[in-house]
Amino acid sequence: MLKALARKSHTLERFLEGWSLFYENTVGRIGLFLLLFFALMAVCSYIPPLIDPMYHPMTGVDPEVFRSTPPSPTHWLGTDNIGRDLLSQLLTGARIAFLVGITAAFMSIVFGTLIGMIAGYAGKVLDSLLMRFADMIMVMPSLLVVLLLSSLFGQLNIWIIVLLISLFRWPGIARVIRAQTLSLKQRPFIDMARVAGASHLRIVFRHILPNVLPMALLYMTFRVTSAIIVEAALAFLGFGDPNTVSWGMMLQWVWKTGHMFQAPYWLLPPGICISLITLSFYMMGRAMEEVLDPRLRKEEQRI
Amino acid sequence: MTLRRLILRRSLEILVIFFLILSGLFFLFHLAPGDPVSRMVDPSMSPEDAELLVSQLGLDQPLWLRYLYYLKNFCTGDFGISFHYGRPVVEVIGERLPNTILLFTTSIILSALAGISWGKLVAWYKGKRVDTVVTITSLVCHTLFLPWIALLFIWVFAYKIGGFPLNGMISPELWSDPASGWFVKALDILHHMLLPLLTLSIIHVGEYLLIMRSSMLETLSEDYILTARAKGLSEKRIRNRHAGPNASLPVVTNVGLSLAFSINGGALTETVFTWPGIGRELIFAVSNNDYPLALASFLFISIVVLVANLVVDVLYAYLDPRIRY
Amino acid sequence: MNQPARLVQGFVFFVLLLPLFLSTGWAKENETTLKIGISEEPRTLNIWLASDANSRKALSLIYQPLYTRNPDTMRITPWLAESMPVYDPREISYTVRLRPAKWADGSEVTADDVVFTVNLIQEFEVPRYYSKWDFVRKVEAVDKRTVKFYLKEPKAIFTTRTLVNYIVSRKEWEPLAEKAKTKEKPLTALVNTKVESPLGCGPFALEDWKEGTSLHFTRNEHFFGQNQTLAQRKLGPHVDKILFKIYGTADVAILALKKGNIDFLWWGIQPGYIPDLKKDEDVRVFLSEKSALYFMGYNVRKKPFSDRYLRQATAIVTDKDFFVKRVLQGYASRMDSIVPAENTFWHADDLPHYGQGLSRDERIKKATALLAENGYSWKTPPVDEDGNVGSPSDIILPSGQPMQKFVILTPPADYDPNRATCGLMIQEWLNDLGIPAIARPMSFGALLQKVKGEHDFDAFILGYGRLSLDPDYLRSFFHSRNDKSRGWNMSGYHNPEFDRLATKSVSAMDPDKRQELIHRMQEIVMRDLPYIPLYKPQEIEAANMKFSGWEQMVGGIGNLWSICQVKPNE
Repeated sequence: MLKALARKSHTLERFLEGWSLFYENTVGRIGLFLLLFFALMAVCSYIPPLIDPMYHPMTGVDPEVFRSTPPSPTHWLGTDNIGRDLLSQLLTGARIAFLVGITAAFMSIVFGTLIGMIAGYAGKVLDSLLMRFADMIMVMPSLLVVLLLSSLFGQLNIWIIVLLISLFRWPGIARVIRAQTLSLKQRPFIDMARVAGASHLRIVFRHILPNVLPMALLYMTFRVTSAIIVEAALAFLGFGDPNTVSWGMMLQWVWKTGHMFQAPYWLLPPGICISLITLSFYMMGRAMEEVLDPRLRKEEQRI
Repeated sequence: MTLRRLILRRSLEILVIFFLILSGLFFLFHLAPGDPVSRMVDPSMSPEDAELLVSQLGLDQPLWLRYLYYLKNFCTGDFGISFHYGRPVVEVIGERLPNTILLFTTSIILSALAGISWGKLVAWYKGKRVDTVVTITSLVCHTLFLPWIALLFIWVFAYKIGGFPLNGMISPELWSDPASGWFVKALDILHHMLLPLLTLSIIHVGEYLLIMRSSMLETLSEDYILTARAKGLSEKRIRNRHAGPNASLPVVTNVGLSLAFSINGGALTETVFTWPGIGRELIFAVSNNDYPLALASFLFISIVVLVANLVVDVLYAYLDPRIRY
Repeated sequence: MNQPARLVQGFVFFVLLLPLFLSTGWAKENETTLKIGISEEPRTLNIWLASDANSRKALSLIYQPLYTRNPDTMRITPWLAESMPVYDPREISYTVRLRPAKWADGSEVTADDVVFTVNLIQEFEVPRYYSKWDFVRKVEAVDKRTVKFYLKEPKAIFTTRTLVNYIVSRKEWEPLAEKAKTKEKPLTALVNTKVESPLGCGPFALEDWKEGTSLHFTRNEHFFGQNQTLAQRKLGPHVDKILFKIYGTADVAILALKKGNIDFLWWGIQPGYIPDLKKDEDVRVFLSEKSALYFMGYNVRKKPFSDRYLRQATAIVTDKDFFVKRVLQGYASRMDSIVPAENTFWHADDLPHYGQGLSRDERIKKATALLAENGYSWKTPPVDEDGNVGSPSDIILPSGQPMQKFVILTPPADYDPNRATCGLMIQEWLNDLGIPAIARPMSFGALLQKVKGEHDFDAFILGYGRLSLDPDYLRSFFHSRNDKSRGWNMSGYHNPEFDRLATKSVSAMDPDKRQELIHRMQEIVMRDLPYIPLYKPQEIEAANMKFSGWEQMVGGIGNLWSICQVKPNE
């Protein structure tokens, strides 16, 4: 009981220590605040449609408005060409960005960690096979592959897009996790577990996984960035899910309906949001990297 | 292992990877729902022509034979006829590929050079305000949404301010004028290339700068730098002659690793600026369901990425004499 | 400072100076050039292969037909021919006299060239052309400038559709045709012949084609219409050169137009650009009528949309004025018949205007009532007992089955953002009724393949941009005989009564009688609604004020009459 408590407090302590390191980091702090801002946007996205159905991001139209209008008291960011409210679209866009970014990133670290651990732990033929495969995926430009697939399979829905993005984004993580697994494999506690008769599965999941997890989480923040960018680019080119109001979609609408250079209130916000949300995840990632890095380096030196 | 053996080995690996991509695409195209025949044969063709093409491509054969046909056609450079252009796909690609390589490699090389030289300076001022400002600026640059920033650039630089062409690669008025010599023409291409180049580079410079900065910081703490300092060498000499070259190695590695990601950006840039490159061609072909062209464009883009990877690897080995595979 | 840094900074410096250096006028202004923006590269300049809009635009400056459309009346008027064709009912022949004309290389255009063109089309059975000439039995050159066409049977479309085709030069095509004949597949060889500089007799000749960038045309000194008056119009051309510049994206082309980099955008513009363009003093916007039809079609072969009442209910909730006012920003008009209302003689007036003028709630109520009357039910209906509109549960068909999800196919947003948006809106309106609709944008080719080729679809939104003035398309769209793969009856509509009327309308030579039949046909179609007509957009074009003399006709100012008449303002 006491022991468990002690262990818990130790974890807590380590977390707090990491947190204060993270918080001291200017880059990390900016990133965190930006991220909180976007999270707030995503939460707020549920509010406008409750106020009035005309604020529904996809189907609500202002009965008074027939063309794109600049910001006004009823529409704080203006409207698009068919009279939909841009602010509620922008808020919904934040929700979609989180959804796409986090799901795709989570899926890709699951793939990456699993494959990395397996390759590192199994070694030999399986290892080199998996790593060649990773090499192959790594040289494929993900956006273009998804484009090619969408031409083959027709319009893709948002979940398929998320899955595809994650399928093309695991190799980087897999390599790192593999390297870590390789070094862990040499450590005495793995040998002990093996001698104690633990199955391979148990060793991988009970002993290796907890140790590579921080690294995987770190990479997740970077993957969020690229997933959001790929989805936005896809939507921008007209291959997104037409039933989703994402920022890329908004940019596509402003582009294709010919409002590009005359409705800055429509063109600027989605672009700024995409850039800033990727920036915030990227900054968080860097700050976390700096927090985790010394520890990781020490472990490497112990080998 | 000598450099030559390294090149040989990496080339072999690249060949294997390329073969896998080639095969993967084949199975995607032939196993995706829908009819592979209608995918590879122009729907506006007459039935007899379609039949001829079907037998040329071996589409009436069983899957494994079709695969062999496909490999054979690939080796002989026969990618079929583009639906849109009605010309052999190879011809179209042959026209577009050099343009992509020109834009893409120029941008990568320039941004790597800029990233290395600026990152080196910034590392020197670690902790100072310059460092924070530059770090955050680079982060912002790196995460800008590329097609959006490209459109803004067109609006601001080419339209509002003027002086830059709106899009394209050459000005037709100039090129049809017999008085313009090759130098003027080259300048004209350069003039058209500036904005796309700027867009593409701004994304990369930030990334390379940050990598260079951290790698420089690491290098500066190494023993041989201390030795150099103890020898009383000037700071500038230490930075440029001793720390710089070694610290720039990770940038080179990263250029290789992020190539695939860069080419995504390249395709978007080409599309927004109507740069007649292969990335734009791929996006155009996908929009128009011109499958033969889309397939071949993708293959050639893969080749570009793979070859660039090889070049980066070799460069790395060349720069860092410690590394021999 | 080390090497790379110096390199980079030198480059940056150079780059900053370059615009100054390059923008100081290089242009040589001793001849006038009309610069036209087009959307994509022409596919080919081989006339037998060209089917895409941009190739046709380029070729229309070069190759010329015997007759063309009069901009005022839209009837045919002599072009390369000197006068209207003379019909001889006894031997079913038309005699056409040619104008004195020369090819761009100075050689004469003779009756022999006409004969050669027809024989080539017939011999090779060139797609797209052969169907217009296959009922011509024989062509002969009576003298150097007179041609006689013998027909197998009287055909009204001979003058309106056959004689408006291009004539090619024997000198250019005979060697190519001979060479093609020696090949295993003569037609393929002919069609795939690479044509570098097509030889025509039009106002311009191709000088140079820079792949991916531009096409240059220079004035053809031998153009037969030069300084002539045709259809009361004095023809030029008044410009020395024409330059086609290829812009991949509309927004950049618009910027180029505003900046004066191009003088005319030969390309339909989205309504969104209009307010901005109207503000610009250097640009003139042209709004022209189009004979067009944009519609949603159902697959009536399949349940549940084989039920007329379900289709009517969907028509009631479809707010056409929403499309016109919002999606098309008012640059369109609503359609309540297959025949456009502007086509006054053939358009039937007293047709049902489903749901016009109703609010969204009223539409839902009306449609719900209609559906409930005809055996449809809901667990939670769209309208509750107190008459309030709410969100319904999925609709249950008269058979007691729940309705399966169904898909409305639309062209993709990058092809036509308006139709993609309309599909989404219809999806939402149908969901208001508990009808599980999903709008799915699909690439254009795949959409046609599914709808026209395989009949594997539920509903689709398509449009015809160039409906002919004669309403014979009503018959093509809905006659049961055309319900076949690649046939025009995409909906699979079968109605014996309609078929009977349609067949009768073809042979009805008395216009009043035919008008009555056509009106009856429209009534039937609008009652059964295999297609729900949605809207008819206007053609929006813009040109720079530097040039005047554009000829605005049905379909816009991008036509050969304009090319022959525009002149720079002094």
